[in-house]
Parts: sequence; C-alpha cells; structure tokens
Amino acid sequence: MVVCTKCGNPKVVISRKQSGQFLCSDCFIESINKKVQQTIRRENLIQKGDKVMVALSGGKDSVVTLDILNSYYKRHVIDLCAVTIDEGIKGYRNEGVSIAKAHAKNLGIEHKVVKFKDCFSIDLDEIMEYENHRGSCTYCGVFRRWIINRTAREFNATKIATGHNLDDESQAILMNYLEGNINNLSALGALTTSKSPKFTPKIKPLREIPEKEIGLYAIVKGLDVHLAACPYAHESFRMEVGNILKDLSKQHPTIMYSILKGYDKIKPLVRENYPPQFHQGDCVKCGEPSSNELCRACTFLEELGHEVQL
Amino acid sequence: MSYKVIFKDLNEERELSGKTTIRNLLEDLNISSETVVTKQNGEVVIEDSQIEDGDEIQIIQIIYGG
Repeated sequence: MVVCTKCGNPKVVISRKQSGQFLCSDCFIESINKKVQQTIRRENLIQKGDKVMVALSGGKDSVVTLDILNSYYKRHVIDLCAVTIDEGIKGYRNEGVSIAKAHAKNLGIEHKVVKFKDCFSIDLDEIMEYENHRGSCTYCGVFRRWIINRTAREFNATKIATGHNLDDESQAILMNYLEGNINNLSALGALTTSKSPKFTPKIKPLREIPEKEIGLYAIVKGLDVHLAACPYAHESFRMEVGNILKDLSKQHPTIMYSILKGYDKIKPLVRENYPPQFHQGDCVKCGEPSSNELCRACTFLEELGHEVQL
Repeated sequence: MSYKVIFKDLNEERELSGKTTIRNLLEDLNISSETVVTKQNGEVVIEDSQIEDGDEIQIIQIIYGG
C-alpha cells in the first residue's frame, strides 16, 4: 500500500511524478506553503510593511495566492487588498466575481470590483462583435493591466500579486521565444519592476507551483473557487503552446521546471543585450505610462470608436 | 457490483468488473488525469486507488482547455 513519503499516512492525495513523492493532504499543503515561502524569500518579493494588492478573479490561482498571502497578513507582515475585474463576459464572469467578493469579505480586506464597461464604455463581449477585432486575449490583457495598475495606485499598494503558476510562466517563456519577442522575454520573472513611478511592482508567488497542484491545494483546503473555462480562451496562441507543454510533460514530468530554471539562468545575459522596453512618457489621453503618444489601451479604444472614461 | 460516477453533467451508475482503478476509469472516459482531481467517497485520492463496490467517484475538472 502507498503511504505518505513524509509521515506514513495512508491517505495519499498526490503522487508527484517529478520527484517520486507521495503526500497526504497535510504534508501536501505544507509543501506548497514552504515552496511559495522559499520563492518569496529567495526572490525578495515581499518586504515588511508592503501593501499587496491581489488581482483576484475568483479562479483557483488567485484564490490560492490570496490564501497564502493571508498568512503574512495575519502575522502583520503585510497589508492586503484585492481587485476583481469584470470584463463583461456573459455566463462566465459573474460567478468568479461573487466568489472573489466572498473571499475578500471573509478576510476583512479592502476590495474593489472594476468593470471594463465603466472604464472604457465597452465590454469584451461587445468588442468581440467587431469584425476586425485583434482577438479577445489581446484586448483583455491590455485592458486588465490598465485597470490593475490604476487600482493599485488608488489603493496605495506597493506590490501587485498575480496568480501566475509554473504552467503560465513556462508557456510565457516559450511563447516569447517562439515569437522572437526577446525584449518581452527578458521582462519575465518572479518580480517585475519599472522605471516609471506610475507602475507598481508585480510579484508572482506561485511561479514555481504546477497548475494542477494549485487546483489540488484549493480542493484539499476546501477553498471556494470558480472552476470554468473562459469562452474566449480557445482563440489564444498561449493555449496552443500550453497544449504542447502538457503533452511533453507526460513523458518528461520535469520539463516545465527546466524551462523556468533554464530561463532564470540566461535571463541576466538576455537583459544585458535586450532590456525590457520601459515606458518613457505618459499617454496624452489617459496619462498612463506609455512609450508612444497613446498607450495601447487608448490606441485600441480609438480603433473601436471609444475612449477611457476618466 | 457497481459504483457511481459524477463528472460535470454525467451522473451514472457503472458496472464494476474486476480490478478497476481511478486511472482505468479516467482512461475509459477519455479524461486527462493532468486536468482533474478525483474524490472517492468524498476523499481526494490518487489514480492508483482501486474502486470498490458501492463507491461514489467524483471527478473535478481543475484545468480547462488542455
């Protein structure tokens, strides 16, 4: 009979192919917490007194990020707040928003729900009705980042925490490499900073945790999470790359770790020759940091015949 | 001998014939084990866990689109 490699408990919840470990629920939860704490310490993601804003969708990754950071909040190491973005995706987003609200209320932290419609006078479903749109994920990414940066300043947050996991990060590394986008590649990592004081540093505490283990953590801990697929996700190049990596992982269970570790080793060399492109000025329309006269959000909105609602 | 399977809209009684594990069930349903967590009688189990007569197996999809 299989037992927990650490404590001998016969109630095993995971068999880790990458390490050969079997773990019971308690040892599994402890191992995840320990691994995330190691990432936070090694990458210097959090300083005492930080106010961390979690980008909380209500999905497993952001809820687990909030749950783990809550242990720092309870020990008064950091202050915690959250933002939830409602992109206006009918039949998908409402449940996540409700779950996010419940978690924030339960922890007693500041929480804002910000809608695309309120900021841009158009939501994602409406954008997707345009014939020559640029693809759902392109708008979603740019508009969400715009809201997250702005809300972080409204909260006076010193860090923005996102739920990016090992699968997301290895996908991003491979995508940027495959697209030859080396300047974007060099910007990836556990901590993203910018020269512009209008950008709040972003941290990814779950960067070394596989997506499946984050789902397992949520279920084993009984955390309420929104488990559903974004109806627009199938349109993305990210999903194509993700599928390739998942297939490779079946025979090579450590492949995502090696992509991440390999990237971390070459990152300093890449940055030297291809530094991330920092925004030098401000957008003339909305005032957000931008390399051009108009930021990407305002450029997209102009194409759609809309503008930022300030 | 039989057991119950719950997965999304599926809620069915299946016949238990011989030694069957969670892995066998997932393969039979064409579900990638990398995208789900399985509960056997309310407790999370690994794919090697053997299904017994009268069990309730709940399959929870945690990763979408893969």
